[in-house]
Amino acid sequence: MPMIEELVGRMRNGELLPSEHLEEKISVLEERDHELNAFITKTLELAREQAKRVDRLVRDGKGGKFYGLVWGIKDNFALKGVPMTCASKMLENYVPPYTATAVERIIDNNGVILGKLNMDEFACGSSGETSYFGPTRNAHDPERVAGGSSSGAGAAVAAGMVDLALASDTGGSIRNPASFNGVVGLKPSYGMVSRYGLADLAMSLDVPGPIAPDAYGVALAMDVLQGYDPRDRTTVRRRLEFVATIDAFNPDGIKIGFSDVLLAGADGPVRRAVIHTLKFFEKKGAEVVDVDLPDVRKVLPVYYLVVYPEFASAMQKYDGILYGHRAGGSTLQELVSRSRGEGFGKEVKRRIILGTYVSLAENAGKWYTLALKARKALQEMFNRAFQQVDVILSPTVPNLPFPIGERIDDPVKMYMSDVLTVPANLLGVPAVTFPGGWEGRLPIGVQLMGPRYSDPLLVSAVRFFEKEGRPWCA
Amino acid sequence: MVRIGFEIHVQLGTESKLFCPCSTRFLDAEPNTNVCPVCTAQPGSKPDGINEDAVEKALKVALALGCDVVEKPLRFLRKHYFYPDLPNNYQRTSEPLAVNGELAGVRIREIHIEEDPGRYELREGLVDYNRSGVPLIEIVTEPDLRSVEDARDFLRHLRAVLDYLDVLLYPQIGFRVDANISIEGGERVEVKNINSIQSVVKALKYEIVRHKRVLSTGGRVARETRHWDEARGITVSLREKESVDDYRYIVDPDIPPYRIDAESVERIRSALPELPHQKKERFVREYGIDGSAAWTFALDKELATFFEKLVAKHGVKNALSFCLNLRGELNYRNIYFADVQGKDRFYKLADLYFTGRITKPVYIEYLRKTLDDPDFVPGAQEQLSDEAIREIALEVLKANPKAVEDYRAGEKKALNFLVGQMVSKTKGRADPKKAIRILQEVLRAS
Repeated sequence: MPMIEELVGRMRNGELLPSEHLEEKISVLEERDHELNAFITKTLELAREQAKRVDRLVRDGKGGKFYGLVWGIKDNFALKGVPMTCASKMLENYVPPYTATAVERIIDNNGVILGKLNMDEFACGSSGETSYFGPTRNAHDPERVAGGSSSGAGAAVAAGMVDLALASDTGGSIRNPASFNGVVGLKPSYGMVSRYGLADLAMSLDVPGPIAPDAYGVALAMDVLQGYDPRDRTTVRRRLEFVATIDAFNPDGIKIGFSDVLLAGADGPVRRAVIHTLKFFEKKGAEVVDVDLPDVRKVLPVYYLVVYPEFASAMQKYDGILYGHRAGGSTLQELVSRSRGEGFGKEVKRRIILGTYVSLAENAGKWYTLALKARKALQEMFNRAFQQVDVILSPTVPNLPFPIGERIDDPVKMYMSDVLTVPANLLGVPAVTFPGGWEGRLPIGVQLMGPRYSDPLLVSAVRFFEKEGRPWCA
Repeated sequence: MVRIGFEIHVQLGTESKLFCPCSTRFLDAEPNTNVCPVCTAQPGSKPDGINEDAVEKALKVALALGCDVVEKPLRFLRKHYFYPDLPNNYQRTSEPLAVNGELAGVRIREIHIEEDPGRYELREGLVDYNRSGVPLIEIVTEPDLRSVEDARDFLRHLRAVLDYLDVLLYPQIGFRVDANISIEGGERVEVKNINSIQSVVKALKYEIVRHKRVLSTGGRVARETRHWDEARGITVSLREKESVDDYRYIVDPDIPPYRIDAESVERIRSALPELPHQKKERFVREYGIDGSAAWTFALDKELATFFEKLVAKHGVKNALSFCLNLRGELNYRNIYFADVQGKDRFYKLADLYFTGRITKPVYIEYLRKTLDDPDFVPGAQEQLSDEAIREIALEVLKANPKAVEDYRAGEKKALNFLVGQMVSKTKGRADPKKAIRILQEVLRAS
């Protein structure tokens, strides 16, 4: 697989025409996607038109940041005129009348959009199996899950169907599938990337971010995706330098936080890959510091109590009236209940029902308020840790990609996949995942989490590992 | 004892909606043309930052009502309920922006900002989202009103304050009212969505009668929400059977808390215009008119302005009589002077009358015509010459020989009869006093 830096170089100097490159990607797509099911909507015509335009622009020296790199977009982002399903029957026929800010920025920088990618329904899931359009399969072992919720993004990048993917992360939705597919994914600091045009899961946690084959791809993407957006008032007026600092990582003087609690419940190969990576950085001069962290398993209840009520609120708009799946009904109430009953899948309903229950007035002061307090306490705890260390290293997911169907009926077991990814969302801090090892052909993701706005440091650390290190192998 | 309180919803006259750039002028556009992804709740859309002009106008009202502005940053909540006019199926509504105000002895509990839903036509099943996202303030009073009359006077006063502050989106719409009422021995009943002050009066009267009847027959007035049925002139129970509404409020994570700085508050406070009660006092002080006339002018902003201009031209006495007549006619039509087109015509009418070019009956007739017919322009009517009046007098005498005979025989009543004939024949074309004088001359001469 050509590294993104090299690819951009070849396209910039005219060695590779964006249209030719697109046709290569289309041929991979046609070869692999019937098996992997990474795409919900393919936009071949749109992509070919875009690529032709970019051919001319590159020739005229106006290649933007992407020079015709091929993108896939998770299907919870709006692209005007192209269906946006959120992998739900509810939005099977919904075509947005506008374009998400992040997607607009990709197009403005000559990214070519090949299609909309499969995902867990409304991003509810950690395996890619809750999609109304069927599960996405792991690019390295099609019998296994691709991870989720950005299942299509992880698989499409790993299989080489696209160069880069735009995804979203609420509790690990970028990092989990990137980890399971052996690619790099960044969950940026909250507020760095506009959510305008991203269908909500939990508004205070959602953040768009890239999945790429390597650190350079993530850095290049972030230089474009980041930035204040008046249409999303939670974005910050702050610019970080990604590509410019990508080779600036110096392990000397870097303090890496680690704690045994981060390995609680982790599979053997995952432990070994993580220790291997930790040792690598230590050998290169970084200092490993034992940090005091809460039992990460306690983070999950806090996470879900924050997510459920926000999710139930966000999902309230889907009633079959203005858009979306519309069932019959002789009264309004019947129409709305039936539309929602038929339009949503099991996991989405589970979360709506729990979120509704948790936010009932009679339960005020119980779980939701407590969860918000616990979230604050957790933030303080991690902030203390980040006063001692620059990054915290851990597995991305405690387990290896599992066979399709193995966990889908056991939500508690499924949710356990998220224990190490949800803290970054609760804290609003950045976290990156990269392949730190392989168990046979199954990749093992390692996660680096840093304080708010340390995003470029994390990406440069991955770049350093790519250049100087070697993933652990069984 | 009757206790009445209000929640008053006021659409603010900002250019754009509360959380998106769409125009607020929902009445002036084809249905569903002033809309965007935000105010139709398209998946993925997010509210823009809060419209600062809406906050400014809300603060104007709050300060005019003597409220304390809340110091902590203003948060917006999501109030969840399913209804077709509410595209998110939740309404964005702020925490109180100001508290502890007072107007005419009625305590204002709090004021907050919220977004208006769209308009749902139940019968046709159609929704117009032009109104969706229009900024509203809700003014909540304590139940301090003790009679329907006081309640009406309070709402009129409040309406005048809003007119003076120039914050209403559509003055012809005014505001929507939820009224809560209880009488001793019964629970509090809320009557929702009443669209005018007259309807509030009707709804309250209806409720008082209903409560008294229920209580006098040994029943109990249950705590409930009722709907005002304008067409039938009655209130109907809305959701007696359901338990308490649960709106599942959560803080809206898309809207960062908005800090109102003390300087803005002071800037707005110092720029507040003269308010109705201040105007009334000034009218009494400056023009020496009595308090009740001054108040009736002060309640109608445009009428008060008109009054002051008339005073400058025709003096206090004339201006007062003209404006009292005008006020009477406006009341009869249940409109404000602002609702009348072509104000210049009223200045013209006053000029005609006070310079003696039209008679009083004509003036009254013209006043009504000018109000009712926007195309009518009052003009001086041709006046009869003395010679013409004399001819009419001769005709009157000739036509009524019996009365003339009686008059000459000393019967005073006969003169009254002849005068009446004279006035009716010259009506509008001659000053009645002059007509009588000429009649008497003719009588004496003949």
